Amino acid sequence: MSDRKYLSVGALTRYLKMKFDTDENLRLVFLKGEISNFKSHSSGHLYFSIKDETSKINAIMFSKNASKLTFQPADGMKILVTGRISIYEASGNYQIYVDEMLEDGVGNLYIAFEKLKTQLSKEGLFDPRHKKTIPKIPERIGIITAPTGAAIKDIISTIRRRFPIAETILFPSLVQGENAASDIVKNIKRAENYNLDLLIVGRGGGSIEDLWPFNEESVARAIFACPIPIISAVGHEIDYTISDFVADLRAPTPTGAAELAVPNILDLTKHMTQLKIRLHESIHKTIHLQKLYLDSLKNSFVIKNPIMIYENKSQKLDTLIERLTQSMIRTLEHKRFDLDHIMKHYIFLHPEELYAKQMIDLKTKIEKLELVNPMSVLKRGFAIPYQKNHIIKSIYDVQKEEEMKLKLYDGEINLKVITIKGE
Amino acid sequence: MEKKEMKFEDKMKELETIISDLENGNSSLEESIEKYTRAMKLASECDQELKQVEEQVSKMVLEDGSLKDFHIEETTN
Repeated sequence: MSDRKYLSVGALTRYLKMKFDTDENLRLVFLKGEISNFKSHSSGHLYFSIKDETSKINAIMFSKNASKLTFQPADGMKILVTGRISIYEASGNYQIYVDEMLEDGVGNLYIAFEKLKTQLSKEGLFDPRHKKTIPKIPERIGIITAPTGAAIKDIISTIRRRFPIAETILFPSLVQGENAASDIVKNIKRAENYNLDLLIVGRGGGSIEDLWPFNEESVARAIFACPIPIISAVGHEIDYTISDFVADLRAPTPTGAAELAVPNILDLTKHMTQLKIRLHESIHKTIHLQKLYLDSLKNSFVIKNPIMIYENKSQKLDTLIERLTQSMIRTLEHKRFDLDHIMKHYIFLHPEELYAKQMIDLKTKIEKLELVNPMSVLKRGFAIPYQKNHIIKSIYDVQKEEEMKLKLYDGEINLKVITIKGE
Repeated sequence: MEKKEMKFEDKMKELETIISDLENGNSSLEESIEKYTRAMKLASECDQELKQVEEQVSKMVLEDGSLKDFHIEETTN
């Protein structure tokens, strides 16, 4: 017995782990099965088992890989995983370290989904600018879903509870299976003829295959082309379908769709009350302000002292009259001055004036003539001596004792020459 | 399918617009009173519609396009 070598548990486990880790076949394993004992740790790592009818293997998916999952794993779910097999030394359990996990049977669907999503996105079918506005208060709501099941019941009862005055019109439709997509498309087109404010298209929860019609391209394009605003409501909160991306609004569930579709009548009634209060307050305020304005007018100084209205005017009138008078006087003076000027200028051209002037001239000339009239000289005391019509100009013209005449201004004197004496 | 002359939502919108106008106080007294009269009419119509408590019966579109009453109770079992 003494030559037996005893291994420690640790050594054995390390040896086994080395064996697993170096085995090519265990480094990359594709495994399918069903999830059980699923636990999501707060670290983000997922712990679960994968089992089938005969066996079971523990599995771990680290948060790094788990964060890439496109679905929510749950017990009972059929899955396809990729990973490696190794041993967890602490417990001595072998387990699969999962790198990737897909829902079994939907792998192909998933690829198709991604492909269609990328294509439609590229075409702009998800573009927010194409989203129609969901009416706040729809009065006629169309519902495209199965006539049986929880979805229609949830939608109608929620609408009735929140907003009983809305009309609801069901377009019974297949929502799963081969013919569902074409049936949904047909109903979306039919809905256009019913004067609807809003359309809810959807169904309750189910497997990805059940929800698949809502991932069909024809349904997506029908939703996009529909002139009525559409709320999509497919499956549960976690389910996203192509329809959800194309629809004008996505609801997490059928009940959620009804809640998004209609307002709560109580809120609306409350809002109406508020509006009426605001309406009354605003008109009262308007009237009050107008009244204040009127009062201020009535109390204005002028209205209270009407004399003011004509006092000013009266004063102004006086000033105007004064100015008018002054201006008239000035004008008259001016004109008179002008007139005088003109008169002075033209008076000499008047025939009477001309005659008078001529007369004065004539008079002056006559006076001048008078001056040289010999008769006038006689008047001043001179006399003209003459003899037989000869004027005696010299002492030698007469003889002693000769008779001569002396002409005075008023007659003649007969004279006899007595002496002659020269100088 | 009777068609109402004006949607409830449009009435609410017009009502809200008129109230905002009145609150801004940019209108003359005559305009304000005209708007107020219009708003009162809209408000009482909206009130009336909200008070129509009788529930609408859901309809279902048949294959031929006609409508028939649809009761969700039938589907609950």
